[in-house]
Amino acid sequence: MAPRQSTPPAVLACGEIRTCLLPARQALDIRSAAQLLGLRPGERVLLSERPGLYARSPDTLTGVDCPLPSANGARVRAVGTVTAHAALTEGRVLQTSAHCRLPGTGPDQRRPWGEYLVRPGVVEPLGKLPHEAVAQGVLGGPRHGDLDVGLIADGLLTRVLRHPLLDQRPPFRSRPTRLRWAALPAAPGEGPSLERFTLAEDELRTVRLRVPEGTSDAGIAALCDDLALHDWLLTTVVRMLDGLRLGAGAAQDADAVVRTLRPAVDHLLHLWMPGARVGRRLAALWDPLEERPGFTRQWQALVQRIRDQLTLHAIPAAHREVEPAP
Amino acid sequence: MTESVFSETAAEPRTQSVPLAHLSLELGHLYMEDFEAGPERLRAHFAEVRPWAEAARAAATARAGGKRPRISTCFLIDDYFTRFSTPAEVVPMLLAEAERAGLGVDYLARESGCAVTGKVPVAEAVAARIVESPPPGSYGLRPPAAQTGWLANGERSPVARAPQAMKRAVPWQPPHETAARRHSIFLDVELWSDDADGVRTWSCPFLAAVWQLARLGLLRNEGEALLAPQPHTAAGFPDKWDELPSLLRLNDRAAPFSAYRTCSVLPTRFLPVEHAVRVILDQIEADPAALEQVTDRSGREGMTVPPSVADRISYVYYAGH
Repeated sequence: MAPRQSTPPAVLACGEIRTCLLPARQALDIRSAAQLLGLRPGERVLLSERPGLYARSPDTLTGVDCPLPSANGARVRAVGTVTAHAALTEGRVLQTSAHCRLPGTGPDQRRPWGEYLVRPGVVEPLGKLPHEAVAQGVLGGPRHGDLDVGLIADGLLTRVLRHPLLDQRPPFRSRPTRLRWAALPAAPGEGPSLERFTLAEDELRTVRLRVPEGTSDAGIAALCDDLALHDWLLTTVVRMLDGLRLGAGAAQDADAVVRTLRPAVDHLLHLWMPGARVGRRLAALWDPLEERPGFTRQWQALVQRIRDQLTLHAIPAAHREVEPAP
Repeated sequence: MTESVFSETAAEPRTQSVPLAHLSLELGHLYMEDFEAGPERLRAHFAEVRPWAEAARAAATARAGGKRPRISTCFLIDDYFTRFSTPAEVVPMLLAEAERAGLGVDYLARESGCAVTGKVPVAEAVAARIVESPPPGSYGLRPPAAQTGWLANGERSPVARAPQAMKRAVPWQPPHETAARRHSIFLDVELWSDDADGVRTWSCPFLAAVWQLARLGLLRNEGEALLAPQPHTAAGFPDKWDELPSLLRLNDRAAPFSAYRTCSVLPTRFLPVEHAVRVILDQIEADPAALEQVTDRSGREGMTVPPSVADRISYVYYAGH
């Protein structure tokens, strides 16, 4: 195979993901999902039915020419395109994901724009890229005017949410989450690793990865989309249970418990499938999270609690417990 | 990497490939006014084109390292902006005049095929692939200066606001070409216009950009190649333009329609249109899989193409109207 357009290998890939509940009373079937995500006429929406319904929009590009965020204050200018896509899981959870990869060096001057467009998703520094400092800058959050891939994910989310297929009546209340990631090169001979997964303030999560040279950024983005989806599921279900006054015993609470927990059963409990859409090598990065804190362990505990509560409230009130004496 | 046992066709992208020549040589465009000027106009045109067509062949041979290059010729008839005459009348005259000048037309195309082919809205699909060149300072927000239906090669002048009381009028600010070398040559291209009923008319430069993408083998719809040439099997030509295929192969032994590079021989009056075409092509993200197919195959033949799509097209302008 002839080499692709000459780009030095990427020394940094980074991205940001928005995850939220689709604001529609009914989950979308696969055909409606294809309509919702048809962001580009002439390009197919990718549809998958195993192991669950999943639809992904074609990639869209956004041009950028700005300084990169960096932890040491270096203001390296970079030019190129950021790739973004939207995805819908089981017609219910909507994600937008924007990412780019950065080579270690670039030309001294900006190239003609057409040369950037033949390398979609590459943002090229002018000069040398201080990749460790930039990775730290990306995860710490960009200053105003620095490259902000989160804005691109936001912009795409806003666009999808305006679609007329959505009635803006979600079946329950929930909050969107943001996940920001950066992937640096692994030491020679080392496999991919998850260095850090941080729950930060304000529904923000950050993920820092090491990947061997040549790992596709689409593959890394798929892993991070998957982490973001499952983190959102955990966050959302934890919050549902949080809002309940369990065991208070008042008869009127029974209705409230069922009303609050039922949407979890209707819409969320069947979505838990960590690693299902991630390449085999990168799927292994789930393992440390499963070990500590144990995402699936927490999920199973939550599911069990929800089922127990619903079972308990299915028992007529008279048999459930002795009402506290007045 | 271990291949997975299970696969889903709808879950994986696929892109059809097309046969490719080395050079697509365009022998001209025909507009209503050219036709109305009579066969003499075409005769004069082809007489001007001939030496440049030969020069283009010689250049392609040199690029192929002396080997015989695969070259196909094409001609574009405008049936989009104005409908005139009939194919039965126009096409035989056109071919006769080309032959008189010693030029063979391998492929004949209708301009309306660049707007819609069959049921595929080709121009709309290409418009969806525009990725505007970001002026410096673009950090992820959509550029506020984006104008629907227009595409520029830089930053427009800020809109002059009527001066308010107690405020001084903002002085005029120049537009700026992003790739300027010291001084700007700013161009703002109208891509389409909508009439009162919402019917869209694509602009001539936009359709010409689509035409170039087709000739470069980079046009796809849902991964399928568009504007596939149809063989000419009937004895004559139809009486209605719509009955003529969008792209007709007149010569059975012709090299493929699409090619690594294109060259168009045109009178100088097309200069502004073709400048606009370059501005548009420089901001269209061609189908990445189609691009990779072209890069791979040209590389294997030792005929590397320039990375930028806009650099794969070339022109010869002769003095004239």
